[in-house]
Amino acid sequence: MADVVFEGVSRRYGSKVALDGVSLTAPDRRFTVLCGPPGSGKSVLLRMLVGLETPDEGRILIGGQDVTDTPPAQRPVGYVPQSFALYPHLTVRQNIGYPLKLAGAPAPRIAEQVGRVAELLSIQHLLDKTPDLLSGGEKQRVAVARGLSREARVFVLDDPLVGLDYKLRERLMGDLKLLAAELGATFLYAASDPLETLTMAQELAVLERGRVVRKGPVEQVYAEPGNEAAMRLVGFPRANLLPGRWQGGAVEAGPFRFPVAGRGEGQEVLVGLRPEDAGAPGRGVTAQGTVTLVEDLGAELVVYLDCGGQPLTVIRLAEEGAPGLGQPLAFGVSPSDLLVFDRRTGDALGRGAA
Amino acid sequence: MRRSLYHAVLWLVALIWFAPVAWIILSAFKTREDILATPPKLLFTPTLQNFRDLFTTNASFVVQFANSVVLSLVSVVIAVAISFLAAYAFSRFKPKGTDFLMFLLLSVRMLPGPAVILPIYLMYAAFGWKDNHVALVLFYAMFSVPFSVWILKGFLDGVSIRYDETGRVNGGSWFHVIFRVVLPQVKPGLIAAFIFNLIFVWNEFLFNFVIGGVQTQNIPYALAVGTYSDGGLNWTFIATMTTIYILPPILAIYAFQKYLLVGMTFGTVRGEV
Repeated sequence: MADVVFEGVSRRYGSKVALDGVSLTAPDRRFTVLCGPPGSGKSVLLRMLVGLETPDEGRILIGGQDVTDTPPAQRPVGYVPQSFALYPHLTVRQNIGYPLKLAGAPAPRIAEQVGRVAELLSIQHLLDKTPDLLSGGEKQRVAVARGLSREARVFVLDDPLVGLDYKLRERLMGDLKLLAAELGATFLYAASDPLETLTMAQELAVLERGRVVRKGPVEQVYAEPGNEAAMRLVGFPRANLLPGRWQGGAVEAGPFRFPVAGRGEGQEVLVGLRPEDAGAPGRGVTAQGTVTLVEDLGAELVVYLDCGGQPLTVIRLAEEGAPGLGQPLAFGVSPSDLLVFDRRTGDALGRGAA
Repeated sequence: MRRSLYHAVLWLVALIWFAPVAWIILSAFKTREDILATPPKLLFTPTLQNFRDLFTTNASFVVQFANSVVLSLVSVVIAVAISFLAAYAFSRFKPKGTDFLMFLLLSVRMLPGPAVILPIYLMYAAFGWKDNHVALVLFYAMFSVPFSVWILKGFLDGVSIRYDETGRVNGGSWFHVIFRVVLPQVKPGLIAAFIFNLIFVWNEFLFNFVIGGVQTQNIPYALAVGTYSDGGLNWTFIATMTTIYILPPILAIYAFQKYLLVGMTFGTVRGEV
């Protein structure tokens, strides 16, 4: 068992609070993604797990064992840092074998393990090159290979795909998922990109300003964000959040006006709507806007609308045909897809009632 | 056309700058009469007599040459080692007031030597350190540290701290991180610092003259003292000794000139090294 548990972990840098009482469990053999905007504390949390930072308060447990004060080398953790940090004076082979060599593994053992990880990441042909001869994607693979070469029960990847081009990211995301399944270890992965978050995660923790605002299996977080930040950060394209007001049992926001269930009478609210939940007009709440931009994703079109000054994003299927720029477009939303949040605290207040 | 003109100008300037050096080297192979001949003789019968004289009649020459080599090598190796560790600390741990400390360090080199020679002389005399190799090495090392720290800090700042972290996460000790992970990446900086200070100590005269003594005389000292030793200006002596004297730095610079360039930019311009 190697579940990772953070218990009330806090960290301050001077007067800046980086982590504020974070409690979180990354279940054994699951792929847990930490997502949040830059500076939300996900890197710090992972660096603590690795042992590069020490919490001011709280404990960190791996498989039930307290590792809060354990030196980095003695933790059963493999680490892929945000930047590649490949040693330029070593070959790829030596770079990948480095953690094993430090651990004092015998040479044949190192060679065998390096061969195995290199095969997993299909980089056998690069083994005798030095890092300066590699492309960005190759460097990334080597960095991942080095992180994985250590026989660890927990692997930590700190936003490893940041800065890579889109196609490469997509491919590496797939590879990493397969790898994680194959290795059967616990993975913790920081992501700042919503698409990456959704693709990679089994478990999800949404961080904002040093706090965990939502955690759970990814499907659950997606369906029930429970918090405005979770709605905003999980989902692609990004969810619409419209300012509005809850009055007389109904909410009025942008082009919408709908009855609500929940308690929030008289509050300033934010109404959340996922672009993919907007469908053909005629069902539930209907609204209309002027098309300002259309992005063609192949099977889907991302349509940007202007609804009386309120920008709104919706998704249409390609077979429905691309709407012309400047043309009006009507769409319908099922009331239960309209989520209502407290504008001040971000907490969920309720959702549209049928 | 433009390009060859440009090259011609470069050659001309280089030759003008090289002329005194060439004159000295040629003179080392001339007889005294040939050196002083008017008009200067470009064609002459070369002789090795001057070198023979230097090694036979001037008994202290070998010792002086050895002093120059030992003093500069030992003190610079010590200085670069200390500076590397100091620069690592400045670069990684960023102690409070790093900028000020770095300035303070360099301020040692802002004073001209003569401004500090008197207090240093009194200090060395009081400690009984005059004419002592270890004491001179100590002084030269101290004088070489500031520049070395500056050069090396520039290089170390260019090495991402992620390397250190990767080393530590994978079980490296501090020793391992500093000497096996970081040091190989700042080799050009180490060489640049080494060459810079080697040239400085190699050419140092004032302090060797004042706080050194008979045991520790180096070649600049020998040149200054020996020039008038036989009554007039001893040109063959000057030319021969200088020729031998400039050989080591010329070889060192020729071998490492690309590092010299990166050293002058304090590691901020990496170049092709």
